[in-house]
Amino acid sequence: MSMKKKSLTLTLLILFLATAGQLFARQAPQAMFDEANNLLEEGELNAAMAQYRSIVESGAVSGGLYLNMGITAVQLDSMGLAKYYFMKAQEFEATYEEAATALEYVDSQFSRQSAMLPKLPWDRAVDWIIEVPQTSGLFLLGFFITLSGLVMVYLKWFNKLNFSKLPAVVATLLVTGSAIALLSFYADYVDQRYDEAVFTHSSSRVYESPDPETALVSIAYEGYELTIDQFLSEERENWYYIRLGNGQYGWIPQEGVKVL
Amino acid sequence: MTKTGKGWLQLIWVIFLAGGLSVTASAQDISVEIDLSETKIFSGEQVRLELSISGTSMGSVTQPELPEIDGLRWLRGNTQRGTQYSLINGKPSVTYTFGYVLIAQDPGNYRVPAFDVSVDGTTYRTQALSFEVLDPATIDRGEADRSPDIYVRIEPSTKNPVVGEQVIADVVLYFKRGVEVSSYQPTPGWKAEGFWKEELEYPQRAQTSSSIINGVRYQRARLLQYALFPTKSGELTLSPFEITVAVRKQRSSRDPFGFGLGQERMNLQTIPVTINVDSPPPVDDANFIGAVGDFTITREVSVTEALVGESIEVTTTVRGRGNVPLVNKPEYEYPESLEQYSPEESSNISRTGSRISGTRTFKDVLIARNEGTFTIPAARLAFYDPSGDEYQIVELEELAIDVERDPNAEAITHNNLRLNVEPVTGLTAWHNAGSRPLYQKFWVWVFIVLPLLITAGVYGYKVYANRMETDVAFARSRTAADKAETTLKQADEASDIKEGYYLIEKALVQYITDKLNLPPAGLSHQQVIEEVKSHGDEGIAIELKRLLDKCETIAYAPNATQKTLDSDIQKTRDLIKKIGKLI
Repeated sequence: MSMKKKSLTLTLLILFLATAGQLFARQAPQAMFDEANNLLEEGELNAAMAQYRSIVESGAVSGGLYLNMGITAVQLDSMGLAKYYFMKAQEFEATYEEAATALEYVDSQFSRQSAMLPKLPWDRAVDWIIEVPQTSGLFLLGFFITLSGLVMVYLKWFNKLNFSKLPAVVATLLVTGSAIALLSFYADYVDQRYDEAVFTHSSSRVYESPDPETALVSIAYEGYELTIDQFLSEERENWYYIRLGNGQYGWIPQEGVKVL
Repeated sequence: MTKTGKGWLQLIWVIFLAGGLSVTASAQDISVEIDLSETKIFSGEQVRLELSISGTSMGSVTQPELPEIDGLRWLRGNTQRGTQYSLINGKPSVTYTFGYVLIAQDPGNYRVPAFDVSVDGTTYRTQALSFEVLDPATIDRGEADRSPDIYVRIEPSTKNPVVGEQVIADVVLYFKRGVEVSSYQPTPGWKAEGFWKEELEYPQRAQTSSSIINGVRYQRARLLQYALFPTKSGELTLSPFEITVAVRKQRSSRDPFGFGLGQERMNLQTIPVTINVDSPPPVDDANFIGAVGDFTITREVSVTEALVGESIEVTTTVRGRGNVPLVNKPEYEYPESLEQYSPEESSNISRTGSRISGTRTFKDVLIARNEGTFTIPAARLAFYDPSGDEYQIVELEELAIDVERDPNAEAITHNNLRLNVEPVTGLTAWHNAGSRPLYQKFWVWVFIVLPLLITAGVYGYKVYANRMETDVAFARSRTAADKAETTLKQADEASDIKEGYYLIEKALVQYITDKLNLPPAGLSHQQVIEEVKSHGDEGIAIELKRLLDKCETIAYAPNATQKTLDSDIQKTRDLIKKIGKLI
């Protein structure tokens, strides 16, 4: 066998192994998911939930997985948990509509409802950046705008491009591109610092400081949506610094708080 | 004539001596002293600290800053300055005086520390002074003469309240006969930490009464009155309360027309007052809602018959005298089917009289999700009555609500009570959970650094290209190697030995003249060799001379072959490399 033939065989073997590995990696969560769905259909709710959780622990997630976990939690009569899973399912385009319908139902089941202050326009804009173009996409946009400005500068240096408004156009591109790139870092900072969460236990007190002896700020009930300040929460173990839907701030023990 | 002449000489001698002495003294005769107008000062009383700088010769002196003095607080707006000229033993002297007005703080023994004063670039140090701050309430008869003319105090109605109990705190001004208080102005921003505070409404003109304190007769005027409610137990301190008063002292007999006795503004402050707050005793079989005082508590429901989805309001009203705004919302056990929304709370308080009174209302908003008769259980609420030192229990009767289904809303209600979402089965798109922040992504840093590197590279090339166009010497030097190599390639391909050596000579001379920016023609071999030699390598110069000599004499060489030509071309290439490194 010549050297060329040997190389071709080796390349094909590597390609086959890589493709097979990828297929296996994809099929593993799908197989577990099918198995969990069968358990759900048979009414084995706890076993089905355990199987769904093991998929999440493997690192693979999908909208369908979270939607089914929410349905299982509803049947287990754990509405707070169901809300958490439906909110996770809402993050996926494929299950957004079903998750929204399910959330409407779950919210109607809570005996206590939290007042929800609307978000400020700036916060809504940052949320949009995080969800739609995502911070990486926005950074790339900023990069390419800045690069296009730099390319115009290079062309000007070698007299390949020259028109009266060139300095203004270059300055606009450089400033805009840099600002967009910086905005992506700010949105990323906000994304890392603040997390949405759902309270899944029946109730928990919210304190002024991370100490049960301090003044009571409010009480969080099952299904309450919270915003966690992860940076401040790092200061105290087993406590979260949160903002309630009605705008109040305080410290809550970590038990029962599920971070989205 | 003789006498007159001596007199002039003596006068000149005296002027000279005086001038000489003044120059000597200017650096040595400066003294810096401080003095307190009183060394036993009552808390809240003003005292004057005088700093005197004296000397026979001084430039202008800027006002020195006072250091921090424990027990005294400097009132910065009231500093005075004076200058006095005098002749002491025939020598002129000047004294600069700075008067600082300070107010005494907590009672105790203190010291004014020694501090530095700079005069004409030289630093002088004052002496330290001891003083004592006294509590005016502890004036003994021996010190009656030294009792302050005017001072202010906070007088709480009790020093041992329970949490939530009203404490009336009077701000009282004491002043001796002969002192006329024309106006007063409280300094805003007094904080009673640990208390909820309300200023009681009080007549504008303060009424005075006479009282004797430790043998000294004072006029007593209640200026302000606060209702304070402790919000926690323990030792709480009422911080100093500051007021500014305008006073006018009685005219002196030596100044019958009152000239110079205008109004004087004084800053006064109270001494801190400690209040020991106890927790109310525990209560059994009732829900203590934090109310302390005298109250009536009622509870009522907005409707006794409602439709499913309709809002029902349960209103609890706490009305009476005491810590109305601090009353907590009573918690009731509502049936599961009554959905509870955020409650509403409101307060309406009155500050007239010496007691805070009013109404606090709590409104629970409920919505029935199912039909039926629902009962809100009876409740026992407790408030603490400090006058009787006991809890008062209020029994609230149970409330019944009949809820019926609205026939028009039936379809919607049924729809709300069912989860109309089916599980997802079959193939689903899988994603990896979690994402890393931007700064942890390698490609982000590459994209940040890349434009900088590209810009630096392009700019470097731009500068190079510009120089190649404008700097002939630089351009010749940069292209010398390429031109020499082109010529040597022609030598490689030359069929004639003589032509080959001609091209070797051309390549060498061209390379060296280009590198050194010498005239391209008209230089002898010897001049070229000398230029290379001047750069310090004798060996290269010898090798260059050998090659150039061979090129010159090749016409007479009988044994020149193509092989020797090839060898010499290679040697030329090596030599060019060496020359390139050398120059």
